[in-house]
Amino acid sequence: MIPSLKLGVLAAVVAACVGYLVYSAAGGTSEYYLTVSELRSHTTSGVVRVAGVVQNDVQRSAGGLQVEFTEKDGTASVPVEYHGALPDIFQPGITVVAEGTLGADGIFHASTILAKCPSRFSTTPYTQ
Amino acid sequence: MTPYLGSGALLAGLVMAGFSALLSFWAGWRENSVMVQVGRRAFYGSAAMIVLASVLLEFALLSHDFSLAYVVEHTDLSTPMPLVASAFYGGQEGSLLYWALVLGLLGSASLFASSALGLRLAGYAAGLMASIMSFLLVVLVIVASPFDILAVTPPDGLGLNPVLRDAGMLIHPPVVLAGFASFAIPFCFAAAALMAGRSDAAWIAHTRRFALMAWALQSTGLVLGMWWAYHVLGWGGYWGWDPVENVALMPWLATTAYLHSSQVQARRGRLRAWNFGLVILAFLLVVFGTFIVRSGVVPSVHTFAVSAIGPWFFGFLAVCLVFSIALLAFRVGGLGSNAKPAPAVSREGAFVLQNLLLVGVVVIVFWGTVLPLVSGMLGQERVVGASYYERAAGPLFVAILALMAAGPLLPWRHAGSPLLLALRWPAGAAAVVLAALLIAGVRSVPALLAIPLAAAAATTCLVEYWRLGLKLHRSWRGWSQAVVLVVRRRRRYGAYLAHLGMVVLVVGVAGSHFWQQEKDVSLMPGQQVTVAGYTLTYTGAEQRQLADHSELVGAMRLGDQTLEPARATYAGLGGQSLTHAAISSSPIADVYVVLTGMGGDGSASFQVFVNPLVSWIWAGGAIIILGVVLGNVGERRLASELAVARVRSAVPA
Repeated sequence: MIPSLKLGVLAAVVAACVGYLVYSAAGGTSEYYLTVSELRSHTTSGVVRVAGVVQNDVQRSAGGLQVEFTEKDGTASVPVEYHGALPDIFQPGITVVAEGTLGADGIFHASTILAKCPSRFSTTPYTQ
Repeated sequence: MTPYLGSGALLAGLVMAGFSALLSFWAGWRENSVMVQVGRRAFYGSAAMIVLASVLLEFALLSHDFSLAYVVEHTDLSTPMPLVASAFYGGQEGSLLYWALVLGLLGSASLFASSALGLRLAGYAAGLMASIMSFLLVVLVIVASPFDILAVTPPDGLGLNPVLRDAGMLIHPPVVLAGFASFAIPFCFAAAALMAGRSDAAWIAHTRRFALMAWALQSTGLVLGMWWAYHVLGWGGYWGWDPVENVALMPWLATTAYLHSSQVQARRGRLRAWNFGLVILAFLLVVFGTFIVRSGVVPSVHTFAVSAIGPWFFGFLAVCLVFSIALLAFRVGGLGSNAKPAPAVSREGAFVLQNLLLVGVVVIVFWGTVLPLVSGMLGQERVVGASYYERAAGPLFVAILALMAAGPLLPWRHAGSPLLLALRWPAGAAAVVLAALLIAGVRSVPALLAIPLAAAAATTCLVEYWRLGLKLHRSWRGWSQAVVLVVRRRRRYGAYLAHLGMVVLVVGVAGSHFWQQEKDVSLMPGQQVTVAGYTLTYTGAEQRQLADHSELVGAMRLGDQTLEPARATYAGLGGQSLTHAAISSSPIADVYVVLTGMGGDGSASFQVFVNPLVSWIWAGGAIIILGVVLGNVGERRLASELAVARVRSAVPA
């Protein structure tokens, strides 16, 4: 009885540690994942991720490192400002996930732009 | 003609697999040796049909048979031939067929060697394997056939995405998919042993071989994936905690735990229920991962075509989960140990703690992966980034590293004052490295924990090799005797080599993670930039035309080398562009340059990373695989000898 009790105590201690780590790390770092229309009605401040389609108004300056464009979903759109290297497949028409904050000026200041990667499992079915 | 033959082969394979499943379960239950044999042969037949279907699909791809939707969707006439061949596992349907192929071949090999385990176990294992095969074939025949025909045959195909037009495509996906598929084999033997009420070490020996193979394949696949991401994606990193990476990591973690805890069962006859649980967990994580990855239920930077196979895999996951839980619940009562447990501070205790920690990491990664799904159901969808995984799993990885340093030096049963003495070398090494880091001005706590502990773990392995050397020296009877001794204990010394490889990998990860430096610059020709002591000079841009794409190259001089980061544009694919990062690699650091853009005034902008010790990651991965292979070549006879010896010693006289 004693040894299995010992094992149980050890397991409980590890489980408690894991629980605490998950709780503290997820509490501190999880971000809302929103669509553009959800961003418009989103009230809490802080870093969020916004998914939407890049519109046909991409402007680049500073040797391509400073980028401004509009991100749009079905109903709403938001201007996005970003400094840094863009993913290869970034171009009007693709879906991107911008990570950053919505400024008081109504512009979304992105710190990261993730493009939906064209995976090997994803193809446009051939229809003709 | 090919598509009809292919569909026919899949259908025939399905009939044989279904027949094999039903017959094998019945024959195993009745312990009917002839029927067990027939059931097993039906599985071989099913595997043969899958080989035939695979050959036909490969033939259709290589002969550009654009009457097949699969060929049109994944290749075109301009795609280089090796990549056309790789399209076999490059698409949804083909990758499922590849999975069935691996299960058929490895499964046949494992069944071929299974007769010694007893009729009931062998029958049940074949039945389970044939059931999994039947499921895959049902999906392949009904919802995801690679042999679907188009009404009109187009003149050319759609081609392969430029990101995937790389040599990495030829090696990473087949290895990682094969690893994924092969976790089914230990599962079948573990579940069959539970069904048959067998909990002796015989199944451990048989299962361990295939678990080890799956583990080695998955390790190789993970390292190759990191290498590919690092060289091709051009973001300066190699691991992004994306759901797709996470689902490949989780079964690997569970199997790592199993490979260690199975030692405790083989040596001491304990932890039986736990071992069954780990093998089953690894397979459930594989099915779960396939469901997550192929159905689009969590946001990932990899978008997957939302396909009809999602619900099928969800159903399969539910069936596997219910079956496994019921099996464990009904059978676990009979798995009580007949050996006395060892004190907490012993080799056995270290294994138990290491197992709990690894399962803890699985829980953390699992939670991070499903959080979007769970939070989306409860309200607003939330996601976690890399910092969650680092903060939550980091401390556990550090603890596992400490166990790598201490565990191998602890004795199996007793621990006492010799314990501290045994740990003096690794503890000393850790202290020296810690002092050196402090003097060098390192103040990051994670780095101050990880690197000294890595040094301690390495020292532990070296102490073991030193002891081996001493033993050989003391009783020196010539080289042949020495070789015989090392070969007989190869599993142990192979394992230490794998540990050393893991330490090298950890140092590489720590170095590149804690000390990566990055600079974004815009330069005119002739201007310089210095990052972390490396000075790069921009020498000018050049436009090049290659077979299927054009390249804009911005050349940089680094010492006497010329780095050529480029942006490639693929005219045939809607002008899609692709970054080619230029990497100058050395054991100390990689200089990693990305061309981010060109200004109108002749300037070019670059992102320059200096990634310390990245090449240690690839070296560490290679050493791990080497250790596992060297330690287990010709393992079969040894394993069965051991198993017999342990079973005998476990039965009270």
